[in-house]
Amino acid sequence: MTAISKEERTARQGSDKCFVPNIVLITLSLGLLMLLWSVDSVSIAPNRIVPGSGFMLWQALGLPGALLVSVLIAALAALALTPQKRFYSAQLIIIALLLLLMPFGLMVAGALLIEPDMPQARLGVSGGFWCLLFVMLLALVEVRLRLKLSRLWPALLLCFVAAVWWLCALSWLDHVALVQEFKARDAQFMRALQQHLVLVGVSVSLSVVLGLALALAMRRFSRLNRLGFALLNFVQTIPSLALFGLLLAPLAWLASQVPLLARLGVSGIGMAPALIALVAYSLLPMVRNTYTALDEVDEATLEAATAMGMRSAQRFWQVRLPLALPVLIEGVRITAVQAIGLATVAALIGAGGLGTFIFQGLGQAAMDMVLLGALPILVLALLVDASLGALAERLRPEGMQ
Amino acid sequence: MIELIDVEKRFGGVAAVEGISLRVPSGKVCALVGTSGCGKSTTLRMINRLIAHDGGEIRLDGQPIDSVDPVQLRRRIGYVIQHTGLFPHWRVARNIALVPRLLRWPKERIEARVAELMALLGLSFDELAHKYPHELSGGQAQRVGVARALAGDPDILLMDEPFGALDPLTREKLQEEVARLQSSLHKTIVFVTHDMDEALRLADHLVIMRAGRIVQQGSPLALLRAPEDPFVESLLGGLERGLKQAALMRVRDHMGSLGPSLPSASRISIDASLRQGLSIMLRDHAERLTVVDGKDVPVGELSLRRLIKETQWEQPTSP
Ligand SMILES: Nc1ncnc2c1ncn2[C@@H]1O[C@H](COP(=O)(O)OP(=O)(O)OP(=O)(O)O)[C@@H](O)[C@H]1O
Ligand SMILES: [Mg+2]
Repeated sequence: MTAISKEERTARQGSDKCFVPNIVLITLSLGLLMLLWSVDSVSIAPNRIVPGSGFMLWQALGLPGALLVSVLIAALAALALTPQKRFYSAQLIIIALLLLLMPFGLMVAGALLIEPDMPQARLGVSGGFWCLLFVMLLALVEVRLRLKLSRLWPALLLCFVAAVWWLCALSWLDHVALVQEFKARDAQFMRALQQHLVLVGVSVSLSVVLGLALALAMRRFSRLNRLGFALLNFVQTIPSLALFGLLLAPLAWLASQVPLLARLGVSGIGMAPALIALVAYSLLPMVRNTYTALDEVDEATLEAATAMGMRSAQRFWQVRLPLALPVLIEGVRITAVQAIGLATVAALIGAGGLGTFIFQGLGQAAMDMVLLGALPILVLALLVDASLGALAERLRPEGMQ
Repeated sequence: MIELIDVEKRFGGVAAVEGISLRVPSGKVCALVGTSGCGKSTTLRMINRLIAHDGGEIRLDGQPIDSVDPVQLRRRIGYVIQHTGLFPHWRVARNIALVPRLLRWPKERIEARVAELMALLGLSFDELAHKYPHELSGGQAQRVGVARALAGDPDILLMDEPFGALDPLTREKLQEEVARLQSSLHKTIVFVTHDMDEALRLADHLVIMRAGRIVQQGSPLALLRAPEDPFVESLLGGLERGLKQAALMRVRDHMGSLGPSLPSASRISIDASLRQGLSIMLRDHAERLTVVDGKDVPVGELSLRRLIKETQWEQPTSP
């Protein structure tokens, strides 16, 4: 009986909501429209060094193209006036369409704006384009929440979009500066990506294992608890660059004293200090989340487990851990996303990774090269965030919201 | 048989319960009643060693409970709590199967046991076995809680306000069912309740507690007849006490033979309680009721005058 009335109530709330305009989506779309018609969308530079000159949306796509984009965005706003479930679905389709059309827009811009006698010319992506991408991602999040979709579906959609972009970039977008930067150093890019993944993968797995052990130890020995958290909090306050620097001297000394370590690749700079620093940073969110996850499990449920005659190991593996798992995975998600960002800095101490491009690009004032490093980091972070979020959602016992 | 001998429990120096001595013979039901915080749950939880007692001795079938492994002990004792404590990540069937699995019963036996228990508690297997606890109504969840407690076929059942969170109708239904189950299963039961009617209805032995001590204990009728002090009397219903007592007495035991006078038009079943008899008398303005058996054949007479005069009504019988 309670279940029915609950359904009824949510249904009624849902129907009430139909008539409340979705302010978020309306503001986003209208703001985007204004930006698109007032800010450069792309820029053209004759070569890598010379700064380019900007072009507006209608110059880049031609008037019909610009109108098509604007109509789609206006439709997004219009559908948000009286939002209903099928309207949100329509918005999802429009967002996907716009995201998919973006690389083709760049192709059109290349064809329209670059003269055949300028083979060196580079098509730069500017404000308007980035705004469109950014706003579409925000709108996607909003629509996902309204449609109560699992995180998995938008993640899959984004993967599909990314694949299409990748394909376009490799086959047709030769003029785009980013693509040129990539083509000039694709082997280097692949190596950097690999290094980045190794840095993140190894440090996150290490901190998951260590964090779990530490959290368990802290739960068992309550005196360890305060000390442990104080230490981890302290590490968190050291600026990352300083931590990398602090590790330089002791590790170099260690490597010189213990030849075996040196042969294993430990030295003052490179992978070893980067990994140590990353693990040190990752431990706090990992331990804190694991600790609270395990701690928050309902006392009455645990007591029932004891009262039914479970041994403490059985109680931990069969009741406490499964009930804590979603929050625990949340911890892994936060840790991983943070590590993906932090691993960028590892480039400064010779551990490689995508940060290399960012710092090189900054040094040479080559923004496209910075983007070559920054964009994949962003995509990585989004992907990890979405997939681990979806995993946590799935693991949430079906008995709990 | 459960025996508590001068049992005591202190929390940080303060006694939560003290000098608790009570005996529940096998197959009997004992109810612990008292004001909030008087130590009922503490007493109950010492029996399955969720709480260790600090003084005195607790014995099950003559064996002190500290001499057995607490885990083995708990698997022999069913435990039901107010908010069920079902595992939210397990389906109903798995929840019920918990203790049999811990006892490593063979798979087929566990499946059969789960089906048997669900049937016993009026839970439809096809409809509910694969649901999660949050998909159940309060009454269903509590039934699952009872089924889980019975699953390992324990001799002893401990229940802490088992029906406290249910609406009155559901509660009454479940009380009836527990009474019905008990009449065939003969478990040794100790339960805590705030509902005196529930205690009177189910218990063979009633224990009244106040501030960590037992104030009075005995059969419900004995307590109703002779409450030792005003506190017990008020718990037992104050002015309503007479009716509560009448509710525990059956027409069968108090009727007289059919007299020579004209039988009364008002009738009552031989299995009804005296309380129901009194109610019918008030309703029908009748001093006498004709007692009928299951086939509506008159077998005796219930007379108000005789009831009031009856000595057994007044004098406490020694338990
Ligand atoms: N773990 C504990 N630590 C400290 N004090 C406790 C603990 N458990 C119970 N107490 C105290 O012991 C006393 C008895 O508690 P208990 O839970 O047995 O009461 P109760 O009769 O079950 O009450 P209620 O009817 O409200 O459930 C209370 O004063 C309570 O504060
Ligand atoms: Mg209690």
